[in-house]
Amino acid sequence: MKVKRWIGLLCVLVMAASIVAACSSGQTETTTPKDQTKQETTTQTDSTKTDAATTDTTKTDTGKGDAKETPRNETLYINGLQWGAPTNFNLLSGNPAFPINYGNSREIIYETLFMINELNGDLEPLLGKRYEWNGDLTLHIDLNKDAKWSDGKPFTSDDVVYTYKLGKKYDINWSSYWTYIEDVVADGPNGVNIKLNKDNANKLTVLDSIEIIPMLPKHVWEEIEKKANNDLATIRKEVNADPIGSGPYKIYFYNDQKITVVRDDNYWGKALFGKLPAPKYITHVVYKDNAAGDLAFKSGQVDVSQQFIPQVWNMWKGGAPIKTYLKDAPYYVPGSMPSIFFNLSKKGLENADVRRAIAMSIDYKKISDLAMSGYSAAMKPSITLNSDAEAKYVDQSAIAALQWTTDVEGANALLDKIGAKKGKDGIRVLNGTRLGPYEIECPYGWSDWNASLEIVAQSAKAIGIEIRTKFPEAPVWTNDLQTGKFDIIMNTPAGSVSPSQPWNRAHDIMYSKGVAPLGEMAFWNWGRYKNDQADALIEKIPTVTDEAQLKSLYTDLTKIWLTDIPSIPLMYRPWVFHTVNESVWKGFPVEGDGSNIPPQIAIDGAGIRALYQIHN
Amino acid sequence: MNHSIRILLKSPKFMIGTIVLVLMIAFVLIYPFINTKDPLEMMALAFQPPDSNLLLGSDNFGRDLFLELVYGIRTSMMVGLIAGVCATIIGLIFGLASGYMGGFVDNFLTAITNIFIVIPSFIILILISVSIDSRSSLVTALIIGITSWPWTARAVRAQTTSLRNRDHVNIAKISGHSTSRIILSEILPYIASYVVMAFVLQTASGILSEASISMLGLGPYNTISLGILMNWALVFEAPVAGAWWAFIPAAFSIAVITFSLYLMNTGMDEIFNPKIRS
Repeated sequence: MKVKRWIGLLCVLVMAASIVAACSSGQTETTTPKDQTKQETTTQTDSTKTDAATTDTTKTDTGKGDAKETPRNETLYINGLQWGAPTNFNLLSGNPAFPINYGNSREIIYETLFMINELNGDLEPLLGKRYEWNGDLTLHIDLNKDAKWSDGKPFTSDDVVYTYKLGKKYDINWSSYWTYIEDVVADGPNGVNIKLNKDNANKLTVLDSIEIIPMLPKHVWEEIEKKANNDLATIRKEVNADPIGSGPYKIYFYNDQKITVVRDDNYWGKALFGKLPAPKYITHVVYKDNAAGDLAFKSGQVDVSQQFIPQVWNMWKGGAPIKTYLKDAPYYVPGSMPSIFFNLSKKGLENADVRRAIAMSIDYKKISDLAMSGYSAAMKPSITLNSDAEAKYVDQSAIAALQWTTDVEGANALLDKIGAKKGKDGIRVLNGTRLGPYEIECPYGWSDWNASLEIVAQSAKAIGIEIRTKFPEAPVWTNDLQTGKFDIIMNTPAGSVSPSQPWNRAHDIMYSKGVAPLGEMAFWNWGRYKNDQADALIEKIPTVTDEAQLKSLYTDLTKIWLTDIPSIPLMYRPWVFHTVNESVWKGFPVEGDGSNIPPQIAIDGAGIRALYQIHN
Repeated sequence: MNHSIRILLKSPKFMIGTIVLVLMIAFVLIYPFINTKDPLEMMALAFQPPDSNLLLGSDNFGRDLFLELVYGIRTSMMVGLIAGVCATIIGLIFGLASGYMGGFVDNFLTAITNIFIVIPSFIILILISVSIDSRSSLVTALIIGITSWPWTARAVRAQTTSLRNRDHVNIAKISGHSTSRIILSEILPYIASYVVMAFVLQTASGILSEASISMLGLGPYNTISLGILMNWALVFEAPVAGAWWAFIPAAFSIAVITFSLYLMNTGMDEIFNPKIRS
């Protein structure tokens, strides 16, 4: 028995020794939370995570021979989108590898109809030339006549109809749009009409679909479908090693360490962009973890990094040609608002003044500094992001009086005013209800969120409200979130940047219709907030196109949100961490260069225009 | 009893272990009165290296690591003690009952003990920790306690079985003493020294177990223990950041505490175990 105890002791010493060893080889940076790469959990598939989870399914080299080296000055290296060995390039499989990932490397192989620009929310033409509303229920899209598939066949309206209808036929990434779409019909070879569902005419989500659904060639996928007997499970098994798409690149080589695509010099888009993209090859290197990826990026082996890099300013301190889109803090363009949601049925928390006091007690600056390396700009509570794309929807001066800032004294005064007196233990009691202990919850290991919630718990202590952190495993958190088994819980409402923002976010925070009662699964409005006026506004906004009217509707909605505070945003999080190293490729877009190319890692949405701008 | 204590005090191993432990306990009990700040207060930036203000630097949350360490040692020792007491009591009850009563009771209790011995206790520990909702340090300590008693039970049973047939026990039986009284006054004193040693070992292993499950992120919530300190250092990749102060002091403290406990145990062993008594 004693031997075992000694071994235990020895283990501790060995552990300490190995940590020292690891430490001496590391560089001097702080917090490198690996899961900063996690995708927001709402609408998009969690691609990086699933990729990581499936790493060991393909141990052996699935590539086409030896690692093909490509000339460094013709190759653009990327990291941070793929964490395990690639398993397939089949968009319908649920977890395709880079660059087929749904919604995060659009336009490389499969293209979308329009490209989203996160800077201003615009939809830029690609396969689609222009779109217009014919009445309230029909979206007409003119397609680009020049567009071709990489096998030379023309891209037509049949392909669009076919791709949309795949979502109706099978349960795949874009099936949810069929809630709002009644039918998609061809209007000649180069035109498509998307007919909205009369009962659920939501213009905004339909616009989302035209920038996120990747177009598949009908002639290829019909064959695959036939071979698989129209069975989705069999279709999912298709590896699709040489995908035929309309994009400027084709698969060149892949193994479990990297994926390389090669430029298609016959790319149809040469006519649209005026030239071909500069890099002949794009390679995504599969790194073991964030630290390895960061090190490679710092030394210039990687050109574009989509990884969370702690204290990114240290990267260019030594004169390295490393850049973020914004020259100064917060360095990255905000894309989402991770927030805490209150369970409005809990005693104490159902009081809006208590929630306001909590909101006022939180040290947002500290959250930004400690959890996000300062990548979150000053918090201006609203249902809109404080970005050009969204801030225009709300009359900022009209809501200013209701917005809170960190003000511990004010929060204490507010609680005193409503008669919540401090008990002997320093915790306030409101009408016989002790304010706490409330549990605040997010998944274990999501380190930036863990840190944020620790700060919230500390902040609340200062105003006499007891909040305890709880970090269970992710599935437990998901279940608690959906069934409402929580006091306070953290989640990102509608994470992606899309034309439907900020409506989509407001819907996820406040819309009460279709939300199951506590104990059953709800997929939005987790705190079960209910306000008829807010419901009416959320229903009305997607049917309105007039800018001024939209602004007044959003302003009213924001006022309701600021009064009732069903959620508190804790930080702004970038959509993608776009950091570039200009050792090899120069001329990446930066703020104020007049190019209006968004920092979307040069391969996603309108960000792909960067590929035509960079040079050696 | 006094005699054995006097011998113990002459054992250098026991004395070194005890002094180190007592000093450490005294320090962690007194220091919070000197520095009355809240250990959870986030006062600095993340991973600041040690300086005159922050003796051991700050952790990923910008908390004072030295203060955290003091509270961490306190929690870890408390968890270890409660786990040790719990495991020793359960082990003692099982061991005494099965060793003295024999027969069916013995078979039954031995079977249970064997079942617990063959299931790796750490796995039970993980499973229970994952499944229960409330995780205070007390609950964690109790879980550790109820998963680590079997070997105490086995050893106590063996000793009790051999004591059962001694003359003084037989005399007590003839005198009509009740079973419980015989166990308490005729058997327990003879194995007391062994129980104390087992308790010391259980405490040390309790501290290690707490550190292990906390390292896995399954430790108690809303408190600071040495394992939790190391867990946060791991989650926030302190080794990559070169922030050695975030985990070395905690690992070192665990090593010192358990080492001093083992030293005490070895010292006692040399005194009480006639075979190796010098």
